[in-house]
Amino acid sequence: MTTFQWLVTVAAVCTLIAPEGRLYAQNEQKYKVFLDMSYSGNTWQAAAANGIKALAATPPYDKMIEFKTIISGTDVQRQISDIQSMIAAGAKAIILYPLSPTALNRVIHQACSKGIVVFTYDSTVTEPLAYNVSNITARYGANTAQWMVNKLGGKGEIIFNHGVAGTAVTKTYDEQAYAIFKKYPGIKIVGDFYGNWNDATSQEEVSKILAAHPNVDGIWTVDGTYGSLQAVVQNRPNRLVVIAGQSNNGYRLMMADPALQAKGLQGISSSAGPAVGGYAFKVMMEVLLSKKKLTNHNVEYPLPWVEAKDIKMCSGDRFEGGCNVFPEGKVPPLFLDTALDPKFLPELSLDAVQTGNPAAGAMVQPLPDPKYADNLPGINCQECKAPADALEPNLVSPIPVAK
Amino acid sequence: MSQSTRGQRRPIPSSAFAALLYGIMFAIYLLYSPSAISLAGITDLLNNTIVLAIAAAGLTLVILTAELDLSSVGVIAVTNVIVATVSTKVPGGAFITLILVCLIGLLVGLINGWLVAFLGLQSLAATLGTMIACQGVALLILEAPGGEVAAFIMNRLTDTVFGFMPVAGLILLLAVAGWLLFRRSRLGIAIYAVGTDALAARLSGLNVKATKWLAFGLAGMAYGLAGYMLGAQTGTGDPRISNSFLLYVFAAVAIGGTPLGGGRGGVIGSVVGAGILTVMQKLLFAVGVAEFYTNIFNGVIMIVAILFGNLSAILSLRQKATMSQHRGGQLVPN
Amino acid sequence: MNDILTRSLVSSRTFKPETLTALLVLLGAVLMMLAMKVLNPGFGSVQQIAAILTTSIFLVVAAYGQGLVILLGGIDLSIGVVMSIAGMMIAGLTNGSNEALTWALPVTLISCTAIGLLNGLGIAFLKIPPFIMTLANGTAFFGVALGVTAGSSQRTVAPALQVLMSAQIGGIPVPIGLIGCFLVAGSLLQSRTTEGRKLYAIGSSLAAARVVGLPIEALTIAAYGVSGLCAGIAGLLLAGYSSSATLDMGDPFLMPTIAAVVIGGACVTGGRGLYFGTFAGAIFLSALSTIITVLSLSQGWRNIIQGGIIIIALILQTKQWYLLSIVNRQLPGKQSLDGVLPQNSEV
Repeated sequence: MTTFQWLVTVAAVCTLIAPEGRLYAQNEQKYKVFLDMSYSGNTWQAAAANGIKALAATPPYDKMIEFKTIISGTDVQRQISDIQSMIAAGAKAIILYPLSPTALNRVIHQACSKGIVVFTYDSTVTEPLAYNVSNITARYGANTAQWMVNKLGGKGEIIFNHGVAGTAVTKTYDEQAYAIFKKYPGIKIVGDFYGNWNDATSQEEVSKILAAHPNVDGIWTVDGTYGSLQAVVQNRPNRLVVIAGQSNNGYRLMMADPALQAKGLQGISSSAGPAVGGYAFKVMMEVLLSKKKLTNHNVEYPLPWVEAKDIKMCSGDRFEGGCNVFPEGKVPPLFLDTALDPKFLPELSLDAVQTGNPAAGAMVQPLPDPKYADNLPGINCQECKAPADALEPNLVSPIPVAK
Repeated sequence: MSQSTRGQRRPIPSSAFAALLYGIMFAIYLLYSPSAISLAGITDLLNNTIVLAIAAAGLTLVILTAELDLSSVGVIAVTNVIVATVSTKVPGGAFITLILVCLIGLLVGLINGWLVAFLGLQSLAATLGTMIACQGVALLILEAPGGEVAAFIMNRLTDTVFGFMPVAGLILLLAVAGWLLFRRSRLGIAIYAVGTDALAARLSGLNVKATKWLAFGLAGMAYGLAGYMLGAQTGTGDPRISNSFLLYVFAAVAIGGTPLGGGRGGVIGSVVGAGILTVMQKLLFAVGVAEFYTNIFNGVIMIVAILFGNLSAILSLRQKATMSQHRGGQLVPN
Repeated sequence: MNDILTRSLVSSRTFKPETLTALLVLLGAVLMMLAMKVLNPGFGSVQQIAAILTTSIFLVVAAYGQGLVILLGGIDLSIGVVMSIAGMMIAGLTNGSNEALTWALPVTLISCTAIGLLNGLGIAFLKIPPFIMTLANGTAFFGVALGVTAGSSQRTVAPALQVLMSAQIGGIPVPIGLIGCFLVAGSLLQSRTTEGRKLYAIGSSLAAARVVGLPIEALTIAAYGVSGLCAGIAGLLLAGYSSSATLDMGDPFLMPTIAAVVIGGACVTGGRGLYFGTFAGAIFLSALSTIITVLSLSQGWRNIIQGGIIIIALILQTKQWYLLSIVNRQLPGKQSLDGVLPQNSEV
């Protein structure tokens, strides 16, 4: 090799070794805890990760654990590889957002067999030794579809906004929602598209469908709700819709706006919130420190459920006194209000979920006993059966089907 | 076809430089994570590498003919979901599924080859179309991640044999051996000739179209195999395509010293390139790079590896030029 | 060899086959929509056409840069990331008011152009394959943006931008008018200026261009810079359209820019293609996705149809190239170019 090539190699090697040095120094007193993110760079994931990071840095956990965040990216083999690295690095607990309910089972089983506590948040795995914390079993699809049907009186035209195709969440929620809508002959789905949980895409697609179906009465979404509603507000401002979806701050403000309500806006703010990450972390820490023993590995995080009448403006930086939305301008319109959870995560402040820094003066509070989740085969368990009424709503009573 | 090399030095193939880079990266990884050299550690690393390596090997064949192929991830998705849905349902599932995925991969590859070589479509665009269509097929077969891969595939193929040899390593050695034979075969040499100068190849009597057609076909079969191995690694099927994986496959080929313009390089380099990309992730973890830097390092290291490969390519060209003076200007495959 | 160069450098009076391709693609889009209208009478209203055109502006603008780069025989895989960065920057800097717009706009656009120039530098001087360079660069800058913003969505975009995207002049949405202007300006820049024609020359034959002494490195860097700039503009428009920005908002656009350029008739190995073709390709894709939505198919079928149509569009183009090459003697047909010029694929 030429001298130049040697120099390049040495330089590359130096830049790799120099900055960090040995990070994983042995410190017997602290537990090594890893957060493994797969998706990154979107509002939801960022808020969830920030919540977890803030909690990890909140006393007394900040002195008890050595916390590190890894971004594995969207290739499942890389997530497998990173978890193997974590096992090799002596992890005691891993909290992750799994890319697949099944592909990681083998490596998670390996980790659990070595005594590592493994928790997932929002997205679940079917490995029996792992713990899942999610509201995928809370029947978002059935509940929101039934809510919409009730508001529409059993008839109307609906636009269906699917999430990302090929994910367990989309399959589950779509199944539930379609089952409810099918029961009512007066309900017609006039258009459906894959919004991919993206507000810009949702806005584009809704505006195109709306142009062909000017009498749309409702829009069902899992995410991309704000964008979907924007399309209606821009193209048909005098007649708004019944809409179910996410908990973006801008969306909640619109829901509560009397002027928009007068034009027909009826919204429900639900959908999985980023706070599930922080909650999963706290449960994990309690299990790790032997403060809690879970009899069931699947924990259900309650589904957010806020109607227009429940919306209350906050005056400070926290959700206190029952308030659940920030004034316009305090946070971006896409900010997820469900990143904060005054009941389970009182330690988190607005700044914490936006930056990952712990709130000043906060101390980790103990959790009440968890609620355990239903079985959903292929989602959070392998050899199991779903309850008989898995497609039925459990938060909303159905109206009778018009004959 | 083989010429006498008695008394002549062979040029150092560009894959050797890639192997050197791999060695350095593995050494640093080992420094920070001593368990890397254990049998379990090496087995894990090879298991993590094999899908990318086989896919990159397949892509190399197409790139050698100076064409592009985006369909690798599409074929992998289809074959992966097939393994997860079929292998437990038929007796002798593991073997039958293997044949099935190779045939399906071959079929898609031959379709690609037909579109590009015989219909004259641009390879980037045509394979973009087949990739999207393949993902559609995968979604139709399996709506969401799931299914189940036969226990034999899942357990035996990720394990070790003879007590010390990871099966993944064995498969890679077989692939390399297969390549060493293939590149001396008529088709192998034709592929290089077509990639270097299609007109000259045609004028020398080679069937350019059939060569490209077969190159695409073989590549497709390799992708099918990669999808099969993905089933072994994950134990399930997933209809979604990872866009980042597609780009890694190309990066593995380029880093391994096969320029995307064709005519030079080889499968060995691509396999090493796949290894580099895989060990790079391990390395970044072990060194403790903060999450902020992970993406940045991924990008920078890819560029550094290419520069490395470029330098080696220049060097090997110089060597070839010197030696062709002695041997009368015949090209030796890498 | 000089023949081909001269022809590209001198304005040709003959009817370019590329124009016909573009017209055919547009015709294809119109035919598709007519077919849909037959099946579904509610489809194809003026409002829907307007909506289709309006939402195609992002692709039309971003694909221009991709088209320039592909003309050179390269490719730009960083477009999605640059769009997102542009959106995040303008939203973060303007923070819901118009005050900062006068300086935030140029700062954002200059940053995006800089990322593009960085691509060009790596490709022109370090000889890194464009596929890898743009990919690696995009990944790295995504990492920077992720670290700086911690992934959170930014504030609201300046109202002026939002108004731009939603206003109407004389009943025509402003974005449609913008598309028209961009089409004219872009086509002129690409095909009628000397710089533009030099790009064609470089794309057709790198060796010949070198012999003639064209400033290859400078033009390469400039082309990638323009690509970054276009991605930036598209990102700004997208942020104005959706009133906010996220770090993944540009992702759905990368593959479609490549598809639009290719469907529009550009040759991926370089040297051929009109912006009008890319434009037609973008409109075609926008219409196609609307039709797929209307058909209410599962995602699996949507993908199969999309892939199939791309291939069919390509096949139709090749057939027509062949016919035209026989008819139009001024420009050599595709067949005779192959094999005359040395290999020039630098992807």
